[in-house]
Amino acid sequence: MSGANLRDGTSSGGRLVVDGRPLAFDEGDSVAVAMLRAGEWPGRGGTLCLAGDCGNCLATVDGVAYMRSCQVAAAPAMSVDRHPADAMPPLPAWADAQLDGDVAVGEPAVEREVADVVVIGGGRSGRAAAATASVDGREVVVLDAGTGEEVVGVYPGPTIVARTPAGMRHVTATEVIVATGAAEIQPVCPGAELRGIVTARAAQRLHASGVALPDAVAIGTPPEGVPCRPLDGVLVRFVDDGDGHIGGVVTADPVTGVETTTACRTAIVGLGWSPRDVLARMAGPTVPVSVVGSAAADHALPPPADRAAIVCRCMGVSVADLEEASGAGYGELELLKRATLAGIGTCQGGACLPHVRAWSAAQAGKAPEPFTARPAARQPTLGEVAADVTVDAFRRTPLHDEHLALGATMDRFGGWWRPWHYGDAMAEYRAVREGVSIGDVSTLGKLVLSGPDVVEALERLYPCHVADIKPGRSRYALLLNERGHVMDDGMILRESETRFVLTFTSGGAANAEMWLRDWIETWGLRVHVLDQTMSLAAVNVTGPLAGELLRRLGLDETPRYLGHRRAAVAGVPCHVMRLSFTGEAAFELHHPLDGSVELWRALMDRGADLGIRPHGLQALFGLRLEKGHVIVGMDTELDTTPRRLGMDWAVRMEKPTFIGRAALERTGKLPDHRRLFGFTMDGLAPTEGSPIRVGDEIVGHVSGSWTSPVLGKAVMLGWQKRSPFADRVEIDGREALVTSTPFYDPEGHRARA
Amino acid sequence: MPALDGVTGLRVVADARAIDDARWVAAGGSDVTLLRIAPDEVIAIDAVAVELDDGHAIVVDERGLVAATCPIDDVRRRTEWPLTAEAEVSQGAVAGVPVKLVRLDADHVRIFTAAAYAHDLADRLGWPT
Repeated sequence: MSGANLRDGTSSGGRLVVDGRPLAFDEGDSVAVAMLRAGEWPGRGGTLCLAGDCGNCLATVDGVAYMRSCQVAAAPAMSVDRHPADAMPPLPAWADAQLDGDVAVGEPAVEREVADVVVIGGGRSGRAAAATASVDGREVVVLDAGTGEEVVGVYPGPTIVARTPAGMRHVTATEVIVATGAAEIQPVCPGAELRGIVTARAAQRLHASGVALPDAVAIGTPPEGVPCRPLDGVLVRFVDDGDGHIGGVVTADPVTGVETTTACRTAIVGLGWSPRDVLARMAGPTVPVSVVGSAAADHALPPPADRAAIVCRCMGVSVADLEEASGAGYGELELLKRATLAGIGTCQGGACLPHVRAWSAAQAGKAPEPFTARPAARQPTLGEVAADVTVDAFRRTPLHDEHLALGATMDRFGGWWRPWHYGDAMAEYRAVREGVSIGDVSTLGKLVLSGPDVVEALERLYPCHVADIKPGRSRYALLLNERGHVMDDGMILRESETRFVLTFTSGGAANAEMWLRDWIETWGLRVHVLDQTMSLAAVNVTGPLAGELLRRLGLDETPRYLGHRRAAVAGVPCHVMRLSFTGEAAFELHHPLDGSVELWRALMDRGADLGIRPHGLQALFGLRLEKGHVIVGMDTELDTTPRRLGMDWAVRMEKPTFIGRAALERTGKLPDHRRLFGFTMDGLAPTEGSPIRVGDEIVGHVSGSWTSPVLGKAVMLGWQKRSPFADRVEIDGREALVTSTPFYDPEGHRARA
Repeated sequence: MPALDGVTGLRVVADARAIDDARWVAAGGSDVTLLRIAPDEVIAIDAVAVELDDGHAIVVDERGLVAATCPIDDVRRRTEWPLTAEAEVSQGAVAGVPVKLVRLDADHVRIFTAAAYAHDLADRLGWPT
């Protein structure tokens, strides 16, 4: 196709830069039209629709890839690089710098609004639908790509996300009306990838813009008012002129099959229409969406395509690929899409869907329903996707600045910033084992439960006994789901006949809270629940000198093991809990946030002559491993039962009912091939996650490992997932022995001291 | 520039009717601001005592919140839900951080969040951290 300007041979708009070369355009031209006017083909070949329905004019425009050049208004100095025909576009030069953080890119604004009805499409049908919808006073928003408001996705809500010249627009509505018209059917036959082919509507637009269509023939319905030679017969293939451009068209008599070749430089194809309903197909069954106008019309499918033809140009899927996938059992349209990837590309099936349906109809005897589409219908930039999106906020305890002042290396764990170590994890470990240390455990989940039915609720929720816990005492407990799998663990502390405090892991607290609330509400029990996780801080004072330190700070009477009481420590009101995760005497001091810094500093100050050090998670994980304590989520898996952890002792099957009991009773009668074991071996601890081997077979992995100074060897927890379970395994190329836990102080004398 | 400061009060979980009929005692010279975050739960900012008709009510000091008063336009663009004049108290995420908002007048809101989130919220809104 030549680039002659039918008007006067001059440009009225300015100059683009296309593939590094200047190119004049007229005012009102799209980038694609400007290129055609100049004799350049947008994209690298294939039928042009100039309506945004296909991916045949993709280009990188001003650094943004996957732009449909037919939908972008040409502008002076605009930089356009056509995409390669058979590869992804290269990253722009600035991308590397941006990934390195050297380039700041502006974030598009996001405008959020609520409407009763959103109409997508501003054509005749869209305007009519908007007028009807607004009759009874409902608020109607019309999003029209023609005015630059291009909808990229329809999401549950429903929320419609559109790209606009001013940024992103998020509209939440109660009803969505899709009035996006119809797309022209693209030819699917050998040679369809050549340059020089346009749809009938595209031909009309080019003619109206003054772009010549030289030596044009028309196949199918010819475009009105466009000079061309209409051809009889059905399209068979396009003929390559040897340079990637069409040099002719082969048609066939529909009755006799006799083929005729017609030389030409432009082929205009008017092959019919298909619904432009990608946004409706994206909506999903729960979104109240309706389709009107041409987008809802029952358009005829094209004839089945030739076996050698490429049916989906976005993903390079041929008719032969459809046959192969169908032959392998993926005949249903949604499966066919997933097996071949037809329809998942740039145009989301806009071009290939009618052909895939036609092929499928020819196989099955009836046309299948269209397959679904997925956002985005237009390729948003990363900036547009990220606009106003925030990463998870990681919480800080009130001691965050204290940790930093003490030189802590902080890390994110369980949704919180926590000290990993303070520069010398081994010294922190020794402070716990030999003297006294403090750790910030403010992140633990903390619930208060109160009510006349609280004991009944907890007996149902937990697999251990609860009613026999006396006020002032506590008990370790697992939390199970209905399948008997371990969800979380923590302590049950009784304050009075009808009031308890529960603790949970830092990462599991939010889920546990929802779990408890849901069940209590379901059972209709009279229990109040208060989450104090972020209202209270907590410091763990641990080590053989912990009691001495607390006495110095006014706690004359420390609770005995598993006891708890309310008392002031350094003048700060605390709930003092005598527990132990470290294997040494340990007291958790739960207290109001605004007393936390004062309490921490008092502990550090009065413990200075005792050699006090704070400890971070690195030391804590080693300490707990020496005791063989599991960490739910680190040592456990989604289907871990108490039996697999060797923690049957935490489950009282004599209780008539608790969540998970039925499942444990059933699975308890079955053989089990998974078990968490303790392991020891000489030398340094292997990396956590290391495979555990028996002979040549990998039977599991190490979930926690620590080179124990006090034991002089490596201690580990790890899984064996093959039975019979071995007594000796190989880890990190060395022999490791299954060893009962706790590895350290198995009688628990030190924790009770 | 708005700044998040610590606030104190009471947090109460009790029967809904008991909360409806509760009698609050405020800190000297201040009014109690009630954040009714659930039918059975309320945060009473600046309250120091309460009388309730529920023997099993949980009443605790609340010292884990921070708050700031700011122009509504400071948070409108980062709020997941439309800020309408009708909603006096609302809760959700602003800039991805869980908050509770109290509409003070047509142009201002008081924003509450857990102290654990204070740094992130201030940072994301461009306030002093």
